[in-house]
Amino acid sequence: MTTTAPLDRRALGRTLSALANASALDLAQRPLRPVTSNPARRIGITGAPGAGKSTLLGHLALLRRAAGRLGVLAVDPSSPKTGGAILGDRVRMDELDGASELYIRSLGSRNTSDGLADNLPEMLDAMDDFGFAEVMLETVGVGQVEYAARAQVDTLVLVLLPDSGDTVQAMKAGIMEMADIFVVNKADLSGAQKMAADIQRIAALSHHDPGSWVPPVLLAAASQPASILALSEAIDRHQAWLGASYRQEVLHDQRARYRLRRLLEMRITQVIAEQGVAFFAAPLAEQLLLTLELLRRVSVRP
Amino acid sequence: MNTPLQPRPALAGKRILIGKPGLDGHDIGAKIVALTLRNAGAEVIYTGLRRSPLQIAQVAVDEGVDAVGLSILSGSHKELVADVMEQLRELKAADVKVFVGGTIPAEDQPHLRELGVAAIFTADMPLAEVVRILGERLA
Repeated sequence: MTTTAPLDRRALGRTLSALANASALDLAQRPLRPVTSNPARRIGITGAPGAGKSTLLGHLALLRRAAGRLGVLAVDPSSPKTGGAILGDRVRMDELDGASELYIRSLGSRNTSDGLADNLPEMLDAMDDFGFAEVMLETVGVGQVEYAARAQVDTLVLVLLPDSGDTVQAMKAGIMEMADIFVVNKADLSGAQKMAADIQRIAALSHHDPGSWVPPVLLAAASQPASILALSEAIDRHQAWLGASYRQEVLHDQRARYRLRRLLEMRITQVIAEQGVAFFAAPLAEQLLLTLELLRRVSVRP
Repeated sequence: MNTPLQPRPALAGKRILIGKPGLDGHDIGAKIVALTLRNAGAEVIYTGLRRSPLQIAQVAVDEGVDAVGLSILSGSHKELVADVMEQLRELKAADVKVFVGGTIPAEDQPHLRELGVAAIFTADMPLAEVVRILGERLA
């Protein structure tokens, strides 16, 4: 909380819109950003559609905004056909509006299919630049591709539903090794206790080195304020543990790799989209060579 | 012959807030317009029912939108539109375009245009026409 100036919401709103529309080349031309001395804590909330991510996040944000400027980035899916999107997460975050140090932003996933949004790393950087103490990121409810979110946040919360077969899904996707905190949401439904016990048992099978973080399994319900408080405290405990570990370095390395890969993916998508029918009549090897050539044909000033 | 198969959608890259100020509780029209704009490539943020003009203007600023669409069926369109535009000015976001849809009598339309409304869409207007006009105004 080094910034005392009030948040310039208009400037931030415009900055994020411009970043969302920036092409891979635009991003590549940006000057190297100095390392932020005071980056925001980054908390990710992920889980399947309908698991209650937005509602949970709304309640968490109400609790956590006392600890300084709080930003919420909520990603919803974009139509792969038109690129359009209905961004509805903020409808479920009603009570948050009007608090001056709290900022909510809806993002369309655009061309990404990893639960995040195009140019999200740059947007997260912008949140640092605007003096946020904490940013909460809600991913698209995808369920099985949490790896991208893993790299972008410091603390990843996985929200599960009782009796949804989520245990097996979670085992399949390897999410058990991804999440820092498990939440069985809608704990007032039957089967929640059993689900939590199952997750706990599975998590116990993973090997934990001495001193490493052992992900807690929590029960939560929007109607039970104590459960939200317990989740918030678990996030704080994880943040405190992070500060004392080398994890941050690993995350920085993963973020740098993700950023470069996304930039290339965007550029490749663009080049392929620009080609007409004739291009794809050529043999595949030729298409590949031509594409590589087109990718080279851009001037990126180092 | 290097033309891509699909043309760029009319509202690609545009962000539009659909707001429902005032007390009427019918938002099927707002939802249909939201979906239409999404199908035309826009990112549409929907506020939900019964928002105050200040809330709508604040969300427009935070979300960095290009335009705000107000759906009003209550008959209070003159007051509500004026309020939203005033709040946008207060928040230094007067460049955000405002359009209005709903039950707007023809005799009120000149007044709304004087307030600076970019477009007025009545219930009988084909949705393709709505998209075309918005594409023009937001170009």
